[in-house]
Amino acid sequence: SGPGGDGDGALRPLYMDVQATTPLDPRVLDSMLPYLLAHYGNPHSRTHAYGWESEAAVERARRQVADLIGADSKEIIFTSGATESNNMAIKGVARFYKSRKKHVITTQTEHKCVLDSCRSLESEGFRVTYLPVKKNGLIDLKELEAAFQPDTSLVSVMTVNNEIGVKQPVHDIGEICRTRKVFFHTDAAQAIGKIPVDVNDMKIDLMSISGHKIYGPKGVGAIYVRRRPRVRLEPLQSGGGQERGLRSGTVPTPLAVGLGAACAVAQQEMEYDHKRISQLAERLVTKIMSEVPDVVMNGDREHRYPGCINLSFAYVEGESLLMALKDVALSSGSACTSASLEPSYVLRAIGTDEDLAHSSIRFGIGRFTTEEEVDYTVQKCIQHVRRLREM
Amino acid sequence: PGAVGNALPSQVVDHYENPRNVGSLDRNAKNVGTGLVGAPACGDVMKLQVEVDENGRIVDARFKTFGCGSAIASSSLATEWVKGKTVDEALKIKNTDIAKELCLPPVKLHCSMLAEDAIKAALADYKLKQDPNKEEAEKKA
Repeated sequence: SGPGGDGDGALRPLYMDVQATTPLDPRVLDSMLPYLLAHYGNPHSRTHAYGWESEAAVERARRQVADLIGADSKEIIFTSGATESNNMAIKGVARFYKSRKKHVITTQTEHKCVLDSCRSLESEGFRVTYLPVKKNGLIDLKELEAAFQPDTSLVSVMTVNNEIGVKQPVHDIGEICRTRKVFFHTDAAQAIGKIPVDVNDMKIDLMSISGHKIYGPKGVGAIYVRRRPRVRLEPLQSGGGQERGLRSGTVPTPLAVGLGAACAVAQQEMEYDHKRISQLAERLVTKIMSEVPDVVMNGDREHRYPGCINLSFAYVEGESLLMALKDVALSSGSACTSASLEPSYVLRAIGTDEDLAHSSIRFGIGRFTTEEEVDYTVQKCIQHVRRLREM
Repeated sequence: PGAVGNALPSQVVDHYENPRNVGSLDRNAKNVGTGLVGAPACGDVMKLQVEVDENGRIVDARFKTFGCGSAIASSSLATEWVKGKTVDEALKIKNTDIAKELCLPPVKLHCSMLAEDAIKAALADYKLKQDPNKEEAEKKA
């Protein structure tokens, strides 16, 4: 097998990089097709059937997204993706309350769009606390409590980390924030549809959702904005006032429908997927660690989402291992895979030694990953780690 | 198979799949020079060793590398090129030649630089072993 050309029957690499993106679930594609073909109306067209049927589809999708997280339809705003949702949550909330509140709390392991939004706020005169994480990747709740200031407007902590898979104690964080009457935002892109998330249970005030992480289409996401108690935010995008004035722009019906369908399918499949993925993950980790010495799992063993496994193979550089595993699509925290020579900031934040950070590989197991794919990946991984250690 | 988009050049992959000169020479031997360059913190460490005969010609070379595919290929190629050359000829090997031979993209040029450094370090070590008094004399001067 080798890298595939189109239409020449060549085999494509096994896909083990679901944290980067996921394939469309066929049921999602099915739901989208009518809106890519005959039902092409603009959902904001009030005066004809094209508009009405498009609007109905968008509203159906909105309900599906809301159902997955225990929210009300009115609290779901469609966006272009979790990056936009994160920008809206952080910049939007901070700016709305800026006359009285100038402080934001987040963590060092957030996604770049959260960190960069915070940096942008700092240049506007806000203060931001970037909480460190413990060696296991989780935040220290005592440090969070100590970080609050009288003018804190927002706390932003992601639910599941995209690099190492750790699950933050969202329940506890929500409780702490609610007691102090500070809004709690969570980037749940890697969490929803995979683990149960309920905005009321977890006292979440804002949440970012990504379509293409849950077998939905790329280019769409959503933001949950709580209405009781009401969260206000300054819109980033001005225009015709769509999405309750919070996010102007024509809602892309086929994409919204796809996101809704992805959420509905995920809700159905969550339990089964979780069980299967946990078994496959256990299989992968156990096999590798029993055959190969000097392998470290990055991130807490227990408080994690099983489908995201980040391993450091001592004495083997990440990119060379990816090159050796050319039949498997994976990613690495090594610097060589980024444009700079710095290794992953998430691994640095959990205190990984620099050489181990360069030796990390992320394995993603998803809804469509088979046992054979896991076994092949494990076998090749063991083989090439041994070989590279000789070099 | 050719390179697709950002895939590694086939020359680079070849050095991993068909490695030449992986291993070690006896670093205590008088006619063996050892160069160790780079740092694990940067994700790149190369050890390059040369064995030089009594005529000043490199008769054997070995490498070991912790690094990406391009780093492995650069150091592997370096061992291939130094073999058969005299010490002075080997010192003329430039990183740009290594990068060109392997079709390294701009972001990987530092790998070829490190390989050039490894060659120079190995040869400097060899020279030092031949004439330890010279360094003493130079220090006093």
